[in-house]
Amino acid sequence: MGLREIYITCTHLCFQTVVDRAISDICILLQCSRHNLNVVSVGKGLVMGWLQFLEAGRKFDCISSPTTAYTIPVHVEEVKDIVSVAKYILIVEKESVFQRLANDKFCNANRCIVITGRGYPDIPTRRFLRLLVEKLCLPVYCLVDCDPYGFDILTTYRFGSMQMAYDAKNLRVPEVQWLGVFPSDFEKYDLPQQCLLPLTSEDKRRTETLLLRCYLQKEVPEWRLELELMLQKGVKFEIEAFSVHTLSFLSDQYLPSKIQEVEVLPGNKIKS
Amino acid sequence: MKFFTDREICYADILPPSEVRARIEVAVLNFLKILTCADPAISDLLLINRKSSNRRVSQGLLTEDDTWIFLSRSFCKRSLMRANAAKAFIRVWKVMEMCFKILLQEKRVTQRELFYKLLCVSPDCFSSQLQVNRTIQDVVSLLRCSRFSLGIMASSRGIVAGRLLVQEPDKEMVDCSECGSSGYAISGDLNLLDRLVMKTDARYIIIVEKHAIFQRLAEDRVFNHIPIILITARGYPDIATRFLLHRMSRTFPELPIMALVDWNPAGLAILCTFKFGSIGMGLEAYRYACNVKWLGLRGDDLQLIPEESFVSLKPRDLQIAKSLMSSETLQEKHREELALMVQSGKRAEIEALYFHGYDYLGKYIAKKIVQANYI
Repeated sequence: MGLREIYITCTHLCFQTVVDRAISDICILLQCSRHNLNVVSVGKGLVMGWLQFLEAGRKFDCISSPTTAYTIPVHVEEVKDIVSVAKYILIVEKESVFQRLANDKFCNANRCIVITGRGYPDIPTRRFLRLLVEKLCLPVYCLVDCDPYGFDILTTYRFGSMQMAYDAKNLRVPEVQWLGVFPSDFEKYDLPQQCLLPLTSEDKRRTETLLLRCYLQKEVPEWRLELELMLQKGVKFEIEAFSVHTLSFLSDQYLPSKIQEVEVLPGNKIKS
Repeated sequence: MKFFTDREICYADILPPSEVRARIEVAVLNFLKILTCADPAISDLLLINRKSSNRRVSQGLLTEDDTWIFLSRSFCKRSLMRANAAKAFIRVWKVMEMCFKILLQEKRVTQRELFYKLLCVSPDCFSSQLQVNRTIQDVVSLLRCSRFSLGIMASSRGIVAGRLLVQEPDKEMVDCSECGSSGYAISGDLNLLDRLVMKTDARYIIIVEKHAIFQRLAEDRVFNHIPIILITARGYPDIATRFLLHRMSRTFPELPIMALVDWNPAGLAILCTFKFGSIGMGLEAYRYACNVKWLGLRGDDLQLIPEESFVSLKPRDLQIAKSLMSSETLQEKHREELALMVQSGKRAEIEALYFHGYDYLGKYIAKKIVQANYI
């Protein structure tokens, strides 16, 4: 059952946000997850790469075509028989970046699994990621834009969201590491000044709110430093800016060099 | 029967990279020729006019279903000689240059990536994504080739489920009824979509406006009870979804195409976009127009919906309604439905039908199809 379907059936009672909260309350009361109550959301995540699994009897053979995108199944509890020869999992924030990697046939040259939630990840995507991590024990790297929006998405994957806080145990993935893009990458990878966009007042407000989050103090102080730097400089930039050098700069140079840094100095060079 | 009116119709051709490059080269050579001739001049760029005033309607002789619209050979100019429009002129050349280079490399680019590249190469000319997008449409109107042919890729939000078998070249056949509730994702690659081999035993194609409804119908495997293909663009239709739908309508011409949308002006607007195209995508949009009928929600379904599920129309809804009403292509029966919507001042969503049970939607669709209750 979808959230909106429940809402419409109960419209005479309340607004949809109220229904949403009521379901959360019920989950807290019964100490279960939404999917246990048969409440599902529409799925929008995509996955590609060196992975194979079954879902409700259907075979997802991503390995046969590592550059083809497959939709992440909504009923994650029915996913089993996960097989992979990947060395790591790469999460990308945006669908356009996912498309760029597919177009550049990134997975042909790199043994990995690429996932995107197409913006803020929905619950099936987060649960699927968590399942992959549990079963495959692979490192997880996250690639987001260097802006408050991207940072928020990064923290959603790693720590979970406020609305779904009661289910954080099942939805967060503490293994997520921030691969990029950092403010320091701008000079390191020689990007021209025009690619730096100014932070809007909305961006600044958002960054200030993000800085107040408790886990930034305790668990990932290095992330906090980068965010403060972004606010101080008052600028942001997107992953697509790398296309200024060559279209496949991201796939051919940025990602391989970042990942190599991680493998050589695990946990050191990148913020984990 | 159209005598010579074909000369009026302007389309965007789908071309291989070499031909697009050739067209760009011809544009450059023509410009240089006029610039260096005995009576030199800086020629203007003539683009097919994308204003709604240039929309023409071709009325079917026998039925309303044959109506389709196109852009005619009316031009607007981009000229270096007009002070405030000179930059627009330059932008068209810059985009052509960039696309030429990308096509030479045999690569593809997204509109956002193109924005960054143009921003760095010509910072004085480009300042926003919107400008880049409009200039791309200018190039489409000038060269009369599709955006995809220029090397610009866009993602697709479309999905298909139901009684359809698709096969990409050199790949295995995919059964869209076995794709679960997430369906078969429609690729953004129009070349790939063009090469898909499709087979079906369905009798109807149903366009679903919203993803949630699509998911519900796919999960309930409604296509096992009624022989249908379900397709959705999850909201406003993108080019790839429209392209595939158009291909389906050509490959299976005997299958009527019906739309299941919410009872509000935005729902009808989505139906009309599938049916006629839109001005936003300029020359390309009309190419993929299909004969789409309105299955539901309609005026005669309102008695099925509980009073509480109705919500007032918002100002934005009324704006959309006004714009649809002023369109000369809107069918009479659709116009009546729209008038009823506006008059009642209310709107309702398809989910309201769940009042009768979660499996009601399938029965509703089946009944309407059997009664041929679509307009």
